[in-house]
Amino acid sequence: MASELTLEAVDQDGAIAEVLDELTGGTRADFLGKAVVGGSALTAALAAPAAAKQRNTANDIAILRFDLGLEYLQADMYSEAERLGRLKPRTLDWARVVGANERAHVKAIRGLLGRDAIKSPKFNFRGVTEDDAVFTETAVAFEDLTAALLKTQATQVDSRGILAALVSLHSVEARHAAWIRHIAGIVPAADAIDEPTSKAKVVRLVRSTKFVTSTPRTKARRKPRYTG
Amino acid sequence: MTRARRKQRSEFGTALALVGLLIGAALAIVLLGGSSDRSSAEPSLPPSPRSALAPKNVALGPDPVAYWAPVRARASVRVSPTQSQVVGEVQRRTPEGTTNLVLVLGNAQRVGRTLWVEVRFPGVPDDGRGWVPRSVLGGYTPVRTRLIVDRARLTATLLRGRRRVFRARVGVGTPSTPTPGGHFYVRNQLHRYRSPFYGPIAFGTSGRSSEVSDWPAGGFVGIHGTNRPDLIPGRVSYGCIRMANADILRLARLMPVGTPLTVR
Repeated sequence: MASELTLEAVDQDGAIAEVLDELTGGTRADFLGKAVVGGSALTAALAAPAAAKQRNTANDIAILRFDLGLEYLQADMYSEAERLGRLKPRTLDWARVVGANERAHVKAIRGLLGRDAIKSPKFNFRGVTEDDAVFTETAVAFEDLTAALLKTQATQVDSRGILAALVSLHSVEARHAAWIRHIAGIVPAADAIDEPTSKAKVVRLVRSTKFVTSTPRTKARRKPRYTG
Repeated sequence: MTRARRKQRSEFGTALALVGLLIGAALAIVLLGGSSDRSSAEPSLPPSPRSALAPKNVALGPDPVAYWAPVRARASVRVSPTQSQVVGEVQRRTPEGTTNLVLVLGNAQRVGRTLWVEVRFPGVPDDGRGWVPRSVLGGYTPVRTRLIVDRARLTATLLRGRRRVFRARVGVGTPSTPTPGGHFYVRNQLHRYRSPFYGPIAFGTSGRSSEVSDWPAGGFVGIHGTNRPDLIPGRVSYGCIRMANADILRLARLMPVGTPLTVR
């Protein structure tokens, strides 16, 4: 059934095609003529953001860079938790699945930004990845805020293509938030309507964690004094 | 004429009703059949929506050999989280002025409000380890490489995962100033200095010579180049591991700081 759905049928306002245009440098007509949702051609096109030709506005670049920073943080935190393996099995399963998602988000946003992508900062998770209760609490805060932030940004981006990308990320972040809330014993969907949140609030949260740290200086231009 | 039309209409109506009945019966059969099938089948969920961006998750890379962490504050190293007996101390800086590092060994324990982690730390004999509060350490950095120095065969071998990526002949300590054996790690890299004796690049390790502890910076063992390649391989040093300059330059491209070092 999926192979009979054309991109045109599911993308009537052209948003997905527009992001594909940006990603691959092709024309929308090319995709509408050729792509079939679920088919290998579309999958290949969607998976090729690294070779993207970028035409992002300064506003969109700023938004995507901020999101990339947040995705770096989440991807690193969940990856470290998975590697250290000190969480409870249920939380560790969550970190394993969500970590794979967040690493994909990093790759996707880097692809959208192309040369405008920022490098990952250095993180110090201060034991959060080694303590189940603290990890769960922190993950709830980050997933809730990320989902809320993406909703805010959806009204701020210039490009419909970037909007389509943010919406794709948003629904997955909302799933992460619901799942980790369930693990934490918090009602996943307590309210009927979600409120968006501001970038400033996310910045405050990130700063309060003190996770972003400086790179240690391990190289020096100095004469050795080793035993020789 | 009118009667004929009425008769025609009546016949048409009857035929329509019959067709309707047939369609209804057919639908009922299909639906009933379908529902009986459904009741016996497993409940199924609709497939997840496809991502509009990179559709595939990104798997975690290969497992690291170890983690290292910078020391953010001077701290005593305890024998265990629950015992106050001190087995050493870690400083923020190395004698060379770089950030001091510890190797994170993978065990953590919360005692009260303090999370303690087990570390290998500099300046202690073979496999010296102890516990420090997590709060005195910075972020963890994974490393996938491991350097093995074989004092009998006079070789240095770098492994990435299980794959050998580097091997070179080395000079080690003389019998009176031997290179200490055990488990250590690389904690800094020095370069662009003016000392042909150490070659173009020198790595500092956490290992310390037991014989030359009066050395200016405490007698820590280095891995470096040399201005006497003719002495390599051999037992020629004060405890350091020397190799040809071309080899140390090649090693510097492959071996990050934090790499665990085994001297056997």
